[in-house]
Amino acid sequence: MRDEALKQALREAAIPVAPEAEERGRQVVEAAYAERAAPARSGAENRRPLPRLALALGIATLVTALLLSPAGAAVRDWVGEVVESSAPKPEPELARIPGGGRLLVQSAAGPWVVQPDGSRRLLGDYEEASWSPRGLFVAAAEGRTLSAVEPGGTPHWSLTSGARVRTPRWAPAGERIAYRSAEELRIVAGDGTDDRLLAGSTAPVAPAWSPSGDANLAYVSGGGKLQIVNSESRERLAAAPALPGVSRLEWGANGSAILEASPRALRLREVRARKVALPDLGTARTLPLPGSGISLTGAALAPERQAVAAVVTHWRDHGTSSEVLLFPPGAEKPRSLLTVPGSLGEVAWAPDGRRLLVAWPGANQWLFLPVGRGKPRAVANISTAFSPGERVASFPRVEGWCCVR
Amino acid sequence: MQVEDGAGERRLVREAQDGSGAAMARLYSLHWRGAYRAAYLVVHDAAAAEDIAQDAFLAAVDALDRFDRRRPFRPWLHRIVVNRALDWARREALRRRVHGAESVFEPLPPPEEIGGELMTALKELPADQRAVVVLRHLLEYTPGEIARMLELPRGTVNSRLRRGLDRLRGAAEAKAFSEEGR
Repeated sequence: MRDEALKQALREAAIPVAPEAEERGRQVVEAAYAERAAPARSGAENRRPLPRLALALGIATLVTALLLSPAGAAVRDWVGEVVESSAPKPEPELARIPGGGRLLVQSAAGPWVVQPDGSRRLLGDYEEASWSPRGLFVAAAEGRTLSAVEPGGTPHWSLTSGARVRTPRWAPAGERIAYRSAEELRIVAGDGTDDRLLAGSTAPVAPAWSPSGDANLAYVSGGGKLQIVNSESRERLAAAPALPGVSRLEWGANGSAILEASPRALRLREVRARKVALPDLGTARTLPLPGSGISLTGAALAPERQAVAAVVTHWRDHGTSSEVLLFPPGAEKPRSLLTVPGSLGEVAWAPDGRRLLVAWPGANQWLFLPVGRGKPRAVANISTAFSPGERVASFPRVEGWCCVR
Repeated sequence: MQVEDGAGERRLVREAQDGSGAAMARLYSLHWRGAYRAAYLVVHDAAAAEDIAQDAFLAAVDALDRFDRRRPFRPWLHRIVVNRALDWARREALRRRVHGAESVFEPLPPPEEIGGELMTALKELPADQRAVVVLRHLLEYTPGEIARMLELPRGTVNSRLRRGLDRLRGAAEAKAFSEEGR
């Protein structure tokens, strides 16, 4: 009886639904259906297929039939095993960071610093954190407070802002921290003094410092423009329309490119620094993502070259799979580094640009993937490592990989 | 609204595969509300539920030509809906842990009508348990079917279901289905 009552409650519970939601979806689905149906019909009218095409279609149909039919379950399992096998066998714990360096990891309890030997320390009850350029400090935010914290956990200074502090980012030369507070973009000196407004209206995207050490900062304005501003003079140096829906901004490749990422697209924009004139935002190149029905779950620009790593999720009717892609400098197409079933998370470059760290929450693993030669490595039990004493272990987020040299 | 039986639904799928926009529209009308409700009960976000329901139908359109007409359409659609809702809920949980509870979008106010207590209790369950409870008790799939949909061992489905129901029982005793359990 209780089950029946629960069933009834779930069926009848009032849930919010926008009055036009069903109709909105109907229009989109009907349009998609019309697009699908039109080529099929015109293809039938002009039927003169090439033998090779017919053969390919025949094979595809056969494979599809095999996969969808009950008898094809074994084949489907086999395909699943093939996909899964591209991930390495995981080690039980993080004994060392491949390639060295230190990691900054955000867990539900706060940020952790992971040393090269895998040992780790919780910095405190902060909601966000990012490295200073040489890893001597961490800029940490909690509520309206921005703090500079030593990697051992000792707070160096704190300031209280007028609104919640978000996305602190330390300038490469170490003299400034940029952060968002409500819609404002603000900067403060590295010693916690001289806190001031830089821009009044920004989109909810972390700003990105020029890696050249020239005090230039890129951000997305509330009006959807990619802006470059000099943080000392407050001079607006360049502007261009930002990628629609942009959620991540990175300035890397020795300052020669800015990466914009949205849940659906990736764009790389060249930046030409000029000694006697303002920097120039060159043309933006959209990086092609494979297939339709995908979403981008992570992207990162290499520190010293125009290579981009991206994580995409393929939505398919028989389940999701994720792929790690590498766009080498200037390449037209990406190279697939790894495919796994389920969803992957964020991706981070090693400071020397030789490896990638990819989060795999569904498998409770981190994957360390070499970009060139070398063996991939996987480390298991990540959530428990960063949730000591907690009843429910949650998977942490990698915020940065710092400072090999 | 008239509910199609299994044969009627198979006919609609066949006609949609053959190019009938009316059949596709009928399939949409028959299943959108169920897809939306299932998605909402897992994600508890109206905008996300709308996107998930829409995406599921777009996936259905994409895969229509490959769809085995002998298989029922409804569980196939629900499998896509619930898996996407779970992915969304996991991403959202991670985002909230990292960025706090602030959202770019203003959520619709929580419902305070029928089953408000149940909704609150359901929302407090982990997404994995919510999905299993919704599949079992709203959409009426068996644990075996749920295990195949979510690609989980059947024991995992049973334990998630048990834990979810145990936690809902507290709310149930307060209102709604508790009255039948007394």
